[in-house]
Amino acid sequence: MVSVNHYLILSLLMFSIGVTGFVIRKNAIVVFMCVELMLNAVNIAFVAFARMHGNLDGEIAVFMVMVVAAAEAAVGLAIIIALFRNAKSVDTDDAAELRL
Amino acid sequence: METIVFYLLAASIVFTGVAVVAMRNPIHSALALVCNLIGVAAIFASLQAHFLATVQVIVYAGAIMVLVIFVIMLLNIKEEKPARERFLLLGGVVLAGFAFFVALSFVFLHQFQVTPELTDEITGSVANIGRVLFTKYVFPFEAASLLIMAAIVGSIMIAKTKRREVS
Repeated sequence: MVSVNHYLILSLLMFSIGVTGFVIRKNAIVVFMCVELMLNAVNIAFVAFARMHGNLDGEIAVFMVMVVAAAEAAVGLAIIIALFRNAKSVDTDDAAELRL
Repeated sequence: METIVFYLLAASIVFTGVAVVAMRNPIHSALALVCNLIGVAAIFASLQAHFLATVQVIVYAGAIMVLVIFVIMLLNIKEEKPARERFLLLGGVVLAGFAFFVALSFVFLHQFQVTPELTDEITGSVANIGRVLFTKYVFPFEAASLLIMAAIVGSIMIAKTKRREVS
C-alpha cells in the first residue's frame, strides 16, 4: 500500500536532484530546468498533503505554482536571450560582470 | 498493483531527473525533463488529481518545455565543454545533495504530524477544482491573470532588440 510518506520521499529525492543540478551545472538553461525540477518536486508534496487532509486547498496551491512557473519561464528565458546577446554565451560564469 | 505502478513511476522520475542534471547536451536535458514532467503528471493522476495531471501535461510538458527547447535551438547552444576537472569538488557537491535529502527526509518524516493513509473524501476532478477556484480562491485566480500579463509585457521589454534611432 502506498502511503503519504512514499510520495514525500519521492518529492525530496527530486528536490535534492534539482538542488544538486542547480549547483553543479553552468549552462543557464539547464540551471533553469533544475528550478523547474524543484518546483515539480514541491508540487508532488502539495498534492500528497492535499490527499492526506482530504481537501483541495493544496491542489489550488499547485495550480498557482504552475501559473507562476509559466510566468517565470517567459521572463527567465527572455533574460537568457538578453544575456546571450550581450555575453555571446549562456554560461553562468560569463554573466559575472553585473552589467549589460 | 498500485504499489508496483508507484515504484515504476518513481524510478522513471528519479532516472530522468538525474538525466536532466547529467546530460551534456541541453536538448537531451530538456527531453529528459519532458519525460520527468509526464511522470509527475502520472503521479498526480495516481493521487486522484485529474485536473492537475491534465494541466501538467498541457502547460508544463507542452507549453513551457516547447518554449525552453525553442530558446535552446534559437541560441544554437553547443555542448558544454567538460571544464570541471575537479572531480573531488563534484563528488563533494553530490554528497552534499544526498546529505540535504537525508536531513530533509528526517524533518519530513519525524517532525511533521503525518498520518500516512490517504483519504478518498474528495477528488481533484475538474468540477471540484473549478468550484473551489471560482468561489473561495477567486481573488488569487484573478491576481494570477494580472501576473501573467505583467510577465508577458516584462519578457517582451527584456528580450526585444534595441533599434538605433534614425535621425
